[in-house]
Amino acid sequence: MRGLPGQIGTWLAMPVVAALVALCLAPLLILLAYSFFQVDFVAISRDPTFANYVKIAGSETYRGLIARAFGSALLVVAITAVIGYPVAWFIAKRVTGAKSTLLTLLLVPLYSGDLVRIFAWRVLLGAEGAINRTLMWLGLTTEPLAGLLFSPLATHIALTYNYLPFMVIGLWLAFESLDDAWLEAAADLGAPAADRFRRVTLPLTSPGLIAGGLMVFVMVAGDYLTPQLLGGASGITIISAVNDLFGTAFDWPLGSAIAWTMLAILMLCFGAGALAIRRTALVSEGV
Amino acid sequence: MSRLATFWVWLVFGFMYLPIAMILLFSLNASDVMAFPLRGFTTEWYGAILADGRLGGGFLTTLLVAFPVAILTTLFGAAAALALTLYPVRGRGLFVAALLMPFLVPRLILAVSQLILFKEAGIDRSLWTVIAGQSIIILPFSTLIIVSVLIRIDRRLIEAAADLGAPGWSCFRRVVLPLMGNGLLASWVIAFVLSSSEYVLTAFLSGREQPLSVLVASDFRFDLSPSLNALAVLIVLGNIALVVLAESIRCRSGRTN
Repeated sequence: MRGLPGQIGTWLAMPVVAALVALCLAPLLILLAYSFFQVDFVAISRDPTFANYVKIAGSETYRGLIARAFGSALLVVAITAVIGYPVAWFIAKRVTGAKSTLLTLLLVPLYSGDLVRIFAWRVLLGAEGAINRTLMWLGLTTEPLAGLLFSPLATHIALTYNYLPFMVIGLWLAFESLDDAWLEAAADLGAPAADRFRRVTLPLTSPGLIAGGLMVFVMVAGDYLTPQLLGGASGITIISAVNDLFGTAFDWPLGSAIAWTMLAILMLCFGAGALAIRRTALVSEGV
Repeated sequence: MSRLATFWVWLVFGFMYLPIAMILLFSLNASDVMAFPLRGFTTEWYGAILADGRLGGGFLTTLLVAFPVAILTTLFGAAAALALTLYPVRGRGLFVAALLMPFLVPRLILAVSQLILFKEAGIDRSLWTVIAGQSIIILPFSTLIIVSVLIRIDRRLIEAAADLGAPGWSCFRRVVLPLMGNGLLASWVIAFVLSSSEYVLTAFLSGREQPLSVLVASDFRFDLSPSLNALAVLIVLGNIALVVLAESIRCRSGRTN
């Protein structure tokens, strides 16, 4: 075993790689191939063409939806970062015994499943829902607040709820590896608290911020159910457009092209994020 | 500063559990309307759900999917985790990237890709396609869980076994395997939970036999009744119980070392 651990590793990895290729990589490549096909009445013509991509680039609707997906993703990244930063700091630096319990408690609601979580938010936010009924019962309003459910607000509350734990985990890992000696040194040298945060804590935790941010960004941009079920009219997203093109509209090639446009942009963001993490890691080594 | 942070953490955890607490509360409330004021205690909503034969059938289908998915992902996850830790494979970075792929690709995009794949391969949609599709998206989770147990194994135990002349296979079977057993169990339970609550991919890949998540999807989308609420609570509580069980199993493996 000691002589050839690499070889054993290869044998172990092979079936896993085979499964990943067969059920993830191959499907995505076939999707890429489809994005160059065309719908010809009810059949699919397989002469390669860029027509679908030209259509997306020329369509104000699709461009707008793509921009909105990434705008939403950035917004939720910012919100989860602001909410999650103190939580991650607290769990890493102020909790000693109950660390894993707190982290588990944070993750547990994730396992209830998309549909159930969305249902719960509908119970809370609906016009006949708990918050509205309760406000009316308390006499704080006479009419239900219509904007609560089926609005971008509802969508973004639920998206924040769904993906906050991922941001906290990323930040928590960064805080765990943050050596307090840096902060003590900065304090000894007379740096005020605001400077210590801006010039020591923030740069040293930025890899976690970027990693958590990337995860949240990708998941919000790709979320299908939350906007659909909570967003009302604003629930039409680029991902739901893909869903429609594969369902009722039956234009698989165009749907494939939109999907791959999204994947390409996501991959670019990921590459940029990975580079940024590597650079901040180098910078912090050189502090 | 610290007190403010404590307050903030309580607030955030409150936010995470608010929806669950609310549906739990209203599932026991004797009123058609899910809102305050509460009207008294009842278990009639649970009775209605448990007596529903259609849901019972869906639950059975869910189990038929979740059992094989949990076994497959734990087996493949164990192989992947070993290839990442104790028997490091060459090109580990690339291997990690490949493992993360099903997690990072938007669920709906992966679902339509697999739909095309199965269509091109002439495979009809069935529970088998659901099992295959779910397994690949759950694989990153089971791998992560088993890795988290393997990195805590004291390598000196393995070295000692090798020094005492145990051949590779017997060292694996008698040292590594018992030490990673809890990780396998935790992975199995978590995979089971993730499989039973998966919806988007399941909806695209299932044929005539539909698991519970697909069966109740349209109810959850358009209906807002207390009995549906009771069903949601049952699903949440079942999942939470299993996750807590898995976590306690996983953490115990750290302490025995």
